[in-house]
Amino acid sequence: MSAVGLRMVNIGKSFPGVQALRGVDLEAYAGEALAVIGANGAGKSTLMNVLGGVLRPDSGEIYIHGEPAEIHSPLDAARYGIAFVHQEMAMLPTLTIAENMFISTFPTRSGLIDYRSTNERSAQALARLGCDFPPGTRVSHLSPGDRQIVEIARGLLIHPKIIIFDEPTSSLTRREKARLFEVIAGLKAEGVTVIYITHFLDEVFSVCERAYVLRNGETVGGGMIKDLTYQGIVQMMIGAKEVTSYFGQKAGQAGELALKVEGLNRTGVLQDIGFELHQGEVLGLWGLLGSGRTELLRAIIGLDPIDSGKITVRDHGNLKPIQPKDAMNWIGMLTENRRDEGLLLPMSLKSNISLANLRGLVTSFWPLVNGGLETSLAEKFVSRLAIKTSGLDQPVATLSGGNQQKVVVGRWLERNPTIFFMDEPMRGLDVGAKAEIRTIITELAQSGTAVLVVSSEIEEIMSVSNRYLVMHRGRITGELPGTADKDELVAAAAGNR
Amino acid sequence: MVKKLNLRDFLMSYGFAIIFALVLIFFALGTENFLSLSNILTVLANSAPWLVMATGLALVIMTGSIDISIGSILFLSLALANSLMLNRGLPVAIGIPLILLMGALLGSVNGLLIVVVGINPLITTMGMMFALRGLALWLTSGLVQNIPPALQQFGRIGLFKEFIILTAAVILVLVHLLVTRTIFGRHVMAIGNNPEAAARLGVRVKRVRFLTFVMSGLMVCAGGTLQIMQISNVHPRLGQGYEFTAIAAAVVGGISLFGGEGSIIPGLVMGGLTLVIVENGLTHLGASPYVYPFVRGGIIFLAMYADAMKSRVMARVHVVKDEELTTTVPA
Repeated sequence: MSAVGLRMVNIGKSFPGVQALRGVDLEAYAGEALAVIGANGAGKSTLMNVLGGVLRPDSGEIYIHGEPAEIHSPLDAARYGIAFVHQEMAMLPTLTIAENMFISTFPTRSGLIDYRSTNERSAQALARLGCDFPPGTRVSHLSPGDRQIVEIARGLLIHPKIIIFDEPTSSLTRREKARLFEVIAGLKAEGVTVIYITHFLDEVFSVCERAYVLRNGETVGGGMIKDLTYQGIVQMMIGAKEVTSYFGQKAGQAGELALKVEGLNRTGVLQDIGFELHQGEVLGLWGLLGSGRTELLRAIIGLDPIDSGKITVRDHGNLKPIQPKDAMNWIGMLTENRRDEGLLLPMSLKSNISLANLRGLVTSFWPLVNGGLETSLAEKFVSRLAIKTSGLDQPVATLSGGNQQKVVVGRWLERNPTIFFMDEPMRGLDVGAKAEIRTIITELAQSGTAVLVVSSEIEEIMSVSNRYLVMHRGRITGELPGTADKDELVAAAAGNR
Repeated sequence: MVKKLNLRDFLMSYGFAIIFALVLIFFALGTENFLSLSNILTVLANSAPWLVMATGLALVIMTGSIDISIGSILFLSLALANSLMLNRGLPVAIGIPLILLMGALLGSVNGLLIVVVGINPLITTMGMMFALRGLALWLTSGLVQNIPPALQQFGRIGLFKEFIILTAAVILVLVHLLVTRTIFGRHVMAIGNNPEAAARLGVRVKRVRFLTFVMSGLMVCAGGTLQIMQISNVHPRLGQGYEFTAIAAAVVGGISLFGGEGSIIPGLVMGGLTLVIVENGLTHLGASPYVYPFVRGGIIFLAMYADAMKSRVMARVHVVKDEELTTTVPA
């Protein structure tokens, strides 16, 4: 192996209440791609933010090509030849592509920005990625995938010695991904050190030579990729937990009809939707992004208007037609975007759990919330769902993604919904938290709740569902049994039946 | 996959231009002297100080922040410099730079409180709005003071309107260049988009935000100095409500209160002109002065509605794009 491009020694960083990094050592060689793997909260983004100058470490040293480096800001990092490719969220949508790429490094001519040179150079960097967007296009006009391309091109601008990719592929199409991998190969050939952060382990195996696995702010393992296995990496990421739970167990058999939807229409969005959902089953609603999955859930529970359709639910043993606006009395809904729609981030864990049930907590004549009852309610769910928290008063914003999701689940559980809709319940969670959510879904179904799960990740949906509905362009185009395999599902979602 | 949404984009980005044109046409057809050269000069000369005063605040708004202390900053700066010129014989050549310096200084106090101490901008500048006005009233004992005779005379020269319009035009072009062609301007927009992302990309967010507040104080004094030569005195209500006129001009001109969006030319200029033209036109129609605030309120609502429509359209565009993106994923 060639020279050491980057050495990070004993990096420590703490945030109020959390030791994010506990003396991490990392070495990366010139011309290699190094994967940094870890569950959410393992410290990999903190470590990369230290390297990129976004955060200052409490302790530790960084050496670049053997020389000690003082990195106090993103600009310092750029000066040392470190480029940080952020996820597409780090973009400035009302500025143009060229402006986004040059925002901290504008070339100027007598005090004014030299737009000719920015436009030329950004076009060149984009061309290297096989794109020909006009550099004057506003970023708000780009799709998420295109924004990611721009972000990558920004990283290439400074001709980096070290380039950090933070989840670069999550919004790329397969063709764009292939192109990115070619570029990474090209960078490696030029002797650039590539640091690659991802949730997708299969990419690690195809892109990287070596890996570090972090857990709880420490390096717990790693080595040459060719010596590692998928299972082995997952085991290191989640620690002592049994890896088998990652692959989960499916719920039991379907019982009585719980929900029946017939002839549901919403112009331009949903067309003649009809399906049945039974007690004790997990029904996977599968389709590509934009096929109308979320819209269907929203229409049934009355968040979006419908033009026509009949919804029937089982109420105390009898089937009963209902209006969408009343559906929330029977149906619990986990939204796709838990941070924005499902949780009050600055508020405490306790208030977030009690929020949907406040009426039940008013026990006296006076309209006051019974504090004792509220606490015991919150305690009940913290222990039932194994929410990891420093206390009931901890703001939800500081919980990890998996624990936030559990808070949302807990809130609904208290209302004992007979039907549960879960839109992307495992999105953005780490492997361990995914397994826990999966267990919760399975338990819910086993206790007789009818569960409808939406997910874009085919493995996720396959790991819990007893039956699948396939959506394509606002229609239900098929129903598949729980035994269906991946190829059948993918084919159905693409519309070829 | 870059989409050109030309017509809709145009309508949305230049909605205020359409309003502006409609207002012009309405008054041009409805009144006699509206389009006469002298009235056009009057409108421009009346707008000029307002536009200059609003430029600094526009920068603050572009970062997604707000400053409601500019009226009081102006009053205190003018009151202090004016009494020094009147009572202590301070030459005008030093008095006017002093006004500008005071503005920048008071603006930097805002900036420090907001950026370094971390107080909410609305609260900080509201506190400053009350406190500075109180100081200035104490300083002037709440009396009307004339401005020095030299300045009064200058305000009466034959080509004063042309002078004030030209000065304002030069300042507006400079600030426009500052916004569109300098690193500072681009950083202002970047912060308005997303301060965390901007910081991660290497923008010195605190410094830039601080400077926008300095600019806000400086520019209100620059515009106010032009205006004081028109009105010839410093009175106890000077500057009152100026912040809201300036915010209105910015908003009507398409500068989003959420930040990251808008321009000095044409945006702010058209917004400010719309407000002045409507009042001028109403005068020509012989409308009661009491309806002016009502009409102004209506225009602001219209502008905000257009802004809200804009973000709704944007959101819809995104949904469509997502769909296109994923249908290209090979099965």
